[in-house]
Amino acid sequence: MTERERFIKALKREPIEGHCPTFEMMFFLTLEALGRIHPFQKSLDRWDQMTQKERRLHIEYDAETYIMTAEKYQHSAIFIEFGFKQMSEYDKILRLLETVREKTGDRYFLMLEGDPTFAMPDGENMMSFTERMYEDETGLKKEAEERLARRLEIAEVLSKRGLVDGFMMASDYCFNVNPFFSPAMFETFIAPYLSRAICAYRDMGFYSIKHTDGNVMPILDQIVDCQPDALHSLDPQAGVSLSEVKRLYGDRVALCGNVNCGLLQTGTEEEVVSDVRRSLREGMNGFGYIFCTSNCVYTGMPLERYELMHRIWREEGSY
Amino acid sequence: MILNEISLQLQSGKANAVKELVCKALEEGIPAETILKDGLIRGMSVIGEKFKNNTVFVPDVMMAARAMTQGSEMLKPHLSVEESGMTGKVCLGSIKGDIHDIGKNLVKMMMECKGLEVIDLGVDVAPETFVETARKENCRVIGISALLTTTMVTMEEVVKAAERAGVRDQVKIMVGGAPVTEDFAHKIGADAFSSDAATAAEVALAFCKE
Repeated sequence: MTERERFIKALKREPIEGHCPTFEMMFFLTLEALGRIHPFQKSLDRWDQMTQKERRLHIEYDAETYIMTAEKYQHSAIFIEFGFKQMSEYDKILRLLETVREKTGDRYFLMLEGDPTFAMPDGENMMSFTERMYEDETGLKKEAEERLARRLEIAEVLSKRGLVDGFMMASDYCFNVNPFFSPAMFETFIAPYLSRAICAYRDMGFYSIKHTDGNVMPILDQIVDCQPDALHSLDPQAGVSLSEVKRLYGDRVALCGNVNCGLLQTGTEEEVVSDVRRSLREGMNGFGYIFCTSNCVYTGMPLERYELMHRIWREEGSY
Repeated sequence: MILNEISLQLQSGKANAVKELVCKALEEGIPAETILKDGLIRGMSVIGEKFKNNTVFVPDVMMAARAMTQGSEMLKPHLSVEESGMTGKVCLGSIKGDIHDIGKNLVKMMMECKGLEVIDLGVDVAPETFVETARKENCRVIGISALLTTTMVTMEEVVKAAERAGVRDQVKIMVGGAPVTEDFAHKIGADAFSSDAATAAEVALAFCKE
């Protein structure tokens, strides 16, 4: 069974043997781990000036970095973090996906960002976005429709080319204390579009993993009702309990994450070990679990802490 | 009755209604200080309490704060400096290396609604800048925010910088942000940790009133 097939089985909450699948939404420590610059740390300001050959070399390099990360840490999935913010990036990302596929075939579950829904706005835009929710419901809904249409158009192209297996839906909705959106706001401005995106993706043969940091509990019912294949991050720093989410929704959705990033950064080694064991114990119970951090392996996280987490998974994370 | 209506409309985030009611209240001869305290601040306190109890959400608070700000603006010409309700000064920012400002902005908003004057230092603020500003502006409180576990460790440098500058006993240092905990605050020698914006404002107000 390939890593991709194991990942899909976990998404379907089907029994598997051997290791619980693992991946990371982002793994930025490639320089230290592999001696390679992460694609996000490279500046490609002169992309338009480059020869075709140089562009191809950059794409090859990035593809290899993703693949080497997955190989080194036995990840079952590769998430290409680039988003289609501008259509000029479209060709570059397609070529990156093609290159990863060419080099790995169907070995890995390949994902792209695909969330059309509004994330909670940054500090600068929070007031204007809030005013629109209160005072321009029609306009905001129109924008939500347009965002959805754009994403589905891209998904159609990807579907025809068979390049990805699914989408990471990465719009963040929550603070540590609570969601930014009240349940009523979520019902009006987010859930309808999230639901339609997931449904359309499924019709095209794609899987969907819904990510959000923070305390998702007040809106989790609505998110699960949108029928993603999996929920990602399950942030323990925001009080999200893996065992509780499993109890409430484990029969409807697969779960990913919950290894406490805060502890990986600042906890003692004993705390990390204990937290990793807890995540494995709670998550693997009853299948449908993908082992990973509660956010990502970000710049500044000590690599040895991720490797400690990974070692425990290797030694103890088997069904 | 009109003061209660101001409070209710503010809680609903209806800035225009609040402005109209404030104008009417002034015309009726109600003192500006009374309108401020028993209308606007009372409404904001209710929202702050509900926010702390997780029964309203950030956008609700923001709309209420907008109504509060606009209502207060109308009262300003009618208030003396003492009556304007400014109860203390805080300098606030996201710690060096951290460019996230959502939490910091929420805290600022809640503090202003409590009548505190907030000097917003923005994001990526050096420890010395916090201390220098607090000293120059006579701030009673320094508020430091961090979203990242990698940047929150620099918060300790603010405490040390305040000690080096000889102002540690004149200023209270508060910390907060997603990865920050009570234990961490204690460990670095901060005076307070707040897990949410409403509590941060209450704690800062209490420090200013000490």
